[in-house]
Amino acid sequence: MNSAPALSLRGLRKAYGPKIAVDWLSLDVPHGCFFGLVGPNGAGKTTTLSMVTGLLRPDAGTVVVDGVEVWRDPAEAKRHIGVLPEELRLLERLSGDELLTYNGLLRGMDPATVAERSAELLAVLGLTEAASTLVVDYSHGMRKKLALASALLHNPRVLFLDEPFEAIDPVSARTIRLLLERYTGGGATVVFSSHVMTVVEQLCDRVGIMHNGRLIAEGPLDQVRAGRSLEDAFVELVGAGQSDTETLGWLGSSSGSS
Amino acid sequence: MAWVFVRLKLRLLRNGLRLGGWQQIAGLVFAGLLALPLVPGGFALLAILPRHDPEAGATAAMAVFVGVFAGWLALPLFSATLDTSLDPAKLALLPLRPRQLAVGLFAAACVGLGPLGTLLALLGAVAGFAPAGLGALLVVAAVLLEFALCVVTARAVTTVLSRWLRSRRARDLVILVVSLSALLLNLTLQVVLRAVEPGRLSRFGGLRTTGRVLGWSPPGLAARALVAGSRGRLGAAVLELLAVAAVVALLGWWWYGSLQRLLVTVEPASAPRQQRSTEPRPVGARRPGTEREGARRAARPGLFPRPLWALLPANRLGVVAAKELRYFARHPRLRVQWLTAGLFAIALPLFFTLSSRPGPTPPGPGPGAGFGGGQHPHLVFTALIGIYVAVNQTVLNQFGADGAAYWSNIVASGDPQDDLAGKSLALALPTLTLVTAVSLLIAAITGGWAWVPLTLCLAVGLLGAALAVGMFTSVHSAFPLPGGTTNLWGGRGSGQGCAVGMTQLLAMLAAGVLCVPLGVLVGIGVAWWHPALVLAAPVAVAYGVALWRFGLFLAGDWLRGHQPDLLAALSPRRAA
Repeated sequence: MNSAPALSLRGLRKAYGPKIAVDWLSLDVPHGCFFGLVGPNGAGKTTTLSMVTGLLRPDAGTVVVDGVEVWRDPAEAKRHIGVLPEELRLLERLSGDELLTYNGLLRGMDPATVAERSAELLAVLGLTEAASTLVVDYSHGMRKKLALASALLHNPRVLFLDEPFEAIDPVSARTIRLLLERYTGGGATVVFSSHVMTVVEQLCDRVGIMHNGRLIAEGPLDQVRAGRSLEDAFVELVGAGQSDTETLGWLGSSSGSS
Repeated sequence: MAWVFVRLKLRLLRNGLRLGGWQQIAGLVFAGLLALPLVPGGFALLAILPRHDPEAGATAAMAVFVGVFAGWLALPLFSATLDTSLDPAKLALLPLRPRQLAVGLFAAACVGLGPLGTLLALLGAVAGFAPAGLGALLVVAAVLLEFALCVVTARAVTTVLSRWLRSRRARDLVILVVSLSALLLNLTLQVVLRAVEPGRLSRFGGLRTTGRVLGWSPPGLAARALVAGSRGRLGAAVLELLAVAAVVALLGWWWYGSLQRLLVTVEPASAPRQQRSTEPRPVGARRPGTEREGARRAARPGLFPRPLWALLPANRLGVVAAKELRYFARHPRLRVQWLTAGLFAIALPLFFTLSSRPGPTPPGPGPGAGFGGGQHPHLVFTALIGIYVAVNQTVLNQFGADGAAYWSNIVASGDPQDDLAGKSLALALPTLTLVTAVSLLIAAITGGWAWVPLTLCLAVGLLGAALAVGMFTSVHSAFPLPGGTTNLWGGRGSGQGCAVGMTQLLAMLAAGVLCVPLGVLVGIGVAWWHPALVLAAPVAVAYGVALWRFGLFLAGDWLRGHQPDLLAALSPRRAA
């Protein structure tokens, strides 16, 4: 077992022109951990996950996954990670099982293993019936489950999920949760971003709260929420506070409609 | 209300340019330069010719009016360039009456470079035809009605089609049908022109007959009203204008109805339908109990087309090739590209062969035939046109169909050079099959069987050159191919298409230059020294393979360090 953390970020930075998306981010995620990255829209969660998974080159900083530096040895690092990106851009004109075959063989896996594992994953995720349907005809939830299957196919050590529970029906969400709990139960690590605080509270043992490209709180779940609900802690830390509602006097009153 | 829409449209045009960057601006300038002669040219034709030669002027007016109308009708369908910045579906939630919406959208549709150019060109007719007095009013009315006819027709046709094309399958089908019918129309025109040229019908007589028929079409009526108005036949002009106005109103009503239905009908949820599978799939087993079935076929997964099991290895290279081949058949744009390429690759060599056959005598051993026995046995070479046609459509932007889904190749830790090699393999298979089939066909016609092996060797050489250049452009100037899933006629935005066209033109020139040595060698062989042909065969193969390997090395080496950059180029622009 590797003693290094599953994920280690040091001084990670990315700017789009004048806008700084991720601002000198440093973070350690231990092995076997279920880590939740929360933050308001535009906090830099997706940018961070893209840089961590080798999809977006950082301006500065290092990313070490399972002891391998991602931007120095991308090929080796990617062998250890699975990715579910936020925007589900899949090869639309392949069927579900073809997509899994494609991803498995891309990674150099043995065809028999790919066939066996994809059949099991599709069955667990309830996609067996749709296995030969083209992805372009899939619903949003089906696409998310298929993308998850393809991220798990090579049994990665660390799994990165960007908004896995967004726009997902409760049944599919439960399936995904059970699958992920089983996955971390075997010692693997999950890092995921989410808006849904209740899911984060149920699943995660550690959380990090991002705001304006910075990590403003990070640690074990109980330490971060410190007796409050995670949502209260989040709102307090992010500082959304009570917005000035006096100027909206017309809102909801029957006289002001036009 | 219409003014609000016009301002919205202007703002959208401006913001579109701001987002697009310098490439789009360069493309726009280039497109403007191309279109520039058309607008003053049309204006001058309509303004000057009638003053000198009234008869020819009338014919010119008819030709311009019908031509402009045909352009407006056909361009959005055939070239995916309809401006879709004002999508009615986006306005569905606003509390607008359908009439306000229709008027506003019509006003917005009149704004833009295309409409502006059209109107300017048509206004030439006012200068050319307007007499003093009441006739001038009628001439102006004819021009404005022609313009309205163009705009309304283009909008009506696309809106109605959009309504029909809510399902993915219908859209895929229409992309196919529309593209192929454009191609057939083009071919028919060529054939008719060639048939008419030497025939009994004098060209002018033919034109006059065509003109008489076209005179009854709506744009023709507008042109006739124009001429009648200028010659003082006011009654006839008014009647013809009324007819055009009626057509415009009818089309407008049709558009209005379609718009209404488009806004209140919900897009049917895409029910996952079982694809008709022609071959066994390893994991598509209906019941979990049939896993053994899957394991039996696992040695060769279902992604791989069955006839090619022996050719495609079950590794990264093979799976990329298999996926590409599936995409050639399934992606609507790629399917059209391959079908048109195939049609041209068969039709053009056949046309050359048949038209260069001297008279009705059957092909036999001719006097000058060194190889084989036909009249022009070396016409087998024309099969190579297939490479040119097939390749220049599909090879230059090999990652286009992957689009942003290319991330899955990045996160799969392999050598990206294998992606390029797999794509080359997938491109080579149908191209070489096509060339082989066509060269055999032409050999059968001309008797030039001896030329077939040389042709195939040259095919490898040319393909190698094309692939080498194609790999370079594919990684350095990649752009996502419109998927046809959301908006059928969504272009790449004004100007960008032209920038892409310039790159492709340069790339084709480069590939052509790379092929020059082979051409020289074959030329020497055919004209002076036959043994050069025997030499050319192995040289062509070696040259092609070497070029391909060099291209693969260059592009693969670059791609190893720049996969995120390629992904950024393939992802739709974000406003971040």
